[in-house]
Amino acid sequence: MQFSGLYKNSQVFKIALGSAIVVVCYIASVFYTKMQELNTSVEVISTANETQLELEKLLSIISIYETNLRNYIITKDESYIQNRFLKRGIIELNIKRLKTLASHNAIRNKDIVTLSNLIDERFGLFRQTLTIAQAKKVNADELNEKLLQSGASTEKMREFVYKIINREDVSVRYHNLNHQFELQDSIISAFLLVILSLLILLLSYNKMRVDIYELKKANDELKFLNYSFSNAEKIAGFGYWKYNLSTDKYTFSDNFYRLMGMDPDKQKPSAKVLGKYVHPDDYESIMKTHYDSLKTLEDSTAMCRYVLPNGEIRYIMAVGSFTKNSKGHTVKIGVNYDITEQFQKTLALEENNKELKLINAELESFNNIASHDLQEPLRKIQLFISRIEEREKSLSDQGKEYFSKIRLAANRMQTLLIDLLNYSRTVKGDKVFEKIDLNSTIAQVIQDLAQNIEDKKAEISVGKLPTIMGIPFQMEQLFVNLISNALKYSKEDTAPVISITLEKIGTKERYNAEPINNEVFHKIVVSDNGIGFHQEYADKVFLLFKRLETDSKYTGTGLGLAICKRIVDNHGGFIRVKAKPDRGAQFSIFLPKNIA
Amino acid sequence: MLTNDKPLRILLADDDEDDRTFFSEAIAELKMTNQLTLFNDGKDLMEYLNDPESDLPHILFLDLNMPYKNGLDCLKEIRANPRFKNVSVAIYSTSSSEKDIEDTFIEGANIYIKKPNNFSELKRVIKEVVHMNWQFHTSGLNKETFFFSI
Repeated sequence: MQFSGLYKNSQVFKIALGSAIVVVCYIASVFYTKMQELNTSVEVISTANETQLELEKLLSIISIYETNLRNYIITKDESYIQNRFLKRGIIELNIKRLKTLASHNAIRNKDIVTLSNLIDERFGLFRQTLTIAQAKKVNADELNEKLLQSGASTEKMREFVYKIINREDVSVRYHNLNHQFELQDSIISAFLLVILSLLILLLSYNKMRVDIYELKKANDELKFLNYSFSNAEKIAGFGYWKYNLSTDKYTFSDNFYRLMGMDPDKQKPSAKVLGKYVHPDDYESIMKTHYDSLKTLEDSTAMCRYVLPNGEIRYIMAVGSFTKNSKGHTVKIGVNYDITEQFQKTLALEENNKELKLINAELESFNNIASHDLQEPLRKIQLFISRIEEREKSLSDQGKEYFSKIRLAANRMQTLLIDLLNYSRTVKGDKVFEKIDLNSTIAQVIQDLAQNIEDKKAEISVGKLPTIMGIPFQMEQLFVNLISNALKYSKEDTAPVISITLEKIGTKERYNAEPINNEVFHKIVVSDNGIGFHQEYADKVFLLFKRLETDSKYTGTGLGLAICKRIVDNHGGFIRVKAKPDRGAQFSIFLPKNIA
Repeated sequence: MLTNDKPLRILLADDDEDDRTFFSEAIAELKMTNQLTLFNDGKDLMEYLNDPESDLPHILFLDLNMPYKNGLDCLKEIRANPRFKNVSVAIYSTSSSEKDIEDTFIEGANIYIKKPNNFSELKRVIKEVVHMNWQFHTSGLNKETFFFSI
């Protein structure tokens, strides 16, 4: 992500910055040495200059003394030799200064000592000359000789001094040259230093700017994420909280407070606030769940009610799980969400369901009673009709026909009532599935219908059928209805041929566009050679009270096949039919192989 | 067990007047040497049976849905009393509900007859039931043979 990129960049930058600092340090140290050297040469030059100056001064003092002494000899004026004449004080000061200047230079030191000796010698001559000149009787020859000696000594001293000055001059010139070079070097290093520093500064600045921009961007994104999250919380009606087990600190999200009907941040998060608005009846169990989970570190789920400050009751689902934060602390993260609406909906649904069940039960018993109790008077009617038909022979033919019609109508009503009862029994909720061997079911059905089959001279062939899980009386009803149907809608001039077989499901067979898996379903086919019908009515035959035949020859209630569909539905299967007018019908029943 | 020379005692407890009439007419038309006593409800029936002076019937035809005391309660009382152990009880009802059949079977009725809706059928049923070999029927009794199929 961007953060790792940022981190990688800063690594590279750190290395670059480190090497730049090393280079800067190196250049700075070079610069320092150069400056140091420069300093030395400046010192050397100034020492040499000062030495020259001192030496010149020294020579001039000697000259002044010489002049004064000569003036005294000529004028005998005492004032020339007054005023600390021939005192070595000033000279000594000079010598001392020279010595200080030459303190780091052995050759110069030696020179100074030599010079000092020369000065001593010269002063000796001064004194001797003065002594001769002050005598009452001046020995001219002696004086002359001394003066010559003095001149020679001065000359010697001057020569020596010039020699030193010359040497100093050479040294100064050499150092001056060096100084020039060093100065240039120093300027270059200083320049480099400045340039490099500027470069680093610029780089750092740029890097900082980029980093700050990236950080700001990342920060903005985080802010937005936070904002979206907090919005999502609000929209979805959940609030989130954290509890750090190591620091014993709770953190609540804004919406967590809102769920409790509190203003965010008004109260500091704590276990007390966590349970503050929990319904008193739920408090103990919810807190126990929470504290138990803190011991076991297992996920927790609980439901409780909140009593909001305004008295409203909300249903809250609270889930929590554990995780570790970056410091390795165990943290419980919990999400509370408001399920009041769902909960109330569920309650309403349950209520509806109860009502529906009640209505259903009522309808069922109504249906039961209706079909049952209706049979009672009907049976009476039938019995009285049978009595009249049997005993009242004096009835006119018309009367007999009327009674025959009454009998037929009553019989039809009876069938209808029985079918209604059967249908209501298939709607019933409690279904106990048992293992059923369909072979024996069919045998029983054929036995039950024996009279009807015999009357129609029908030929029934049954293949080997599977054992399934089902409701026995419904399975019986299913085949009774299908076979009765085949018998009823047979052709008048042809004996019915009915076959019941187990067939393999073709790979191309589809149900609701889904292929039917031979592994999952049994396919049982009941086919006849009856009057059939147009394939376009195939779906209609299974509808309640839908009859295709209106011919009075074919009496029916329109319930038989609806019951069949119902039964197959109850068993998790489906039924369909293929038919052609005059070519019979083929009912395919698909029943699941395994019903749990 | 039953021979033709002895009069066969038959009881019918049914609250429906028409049904009682049909029943006695059928018995009369069958011309069997028998003795039929009719009761309007379970209470009357049990009063008669519990009277030690009364002759016990061979066969009792018992309707289920009756006022005061219904057929099932009568059946329970009869089967609880060893004095009536030789009385064959044929349930005679309009209902053919699984529950009624199951309950009466468990309580020890011998056969269950659904009231026919045709007089000739009624005669046939009575004839068959009266002439039934009760010992044989009772020894091999199961839920399938219990329900009398016409």
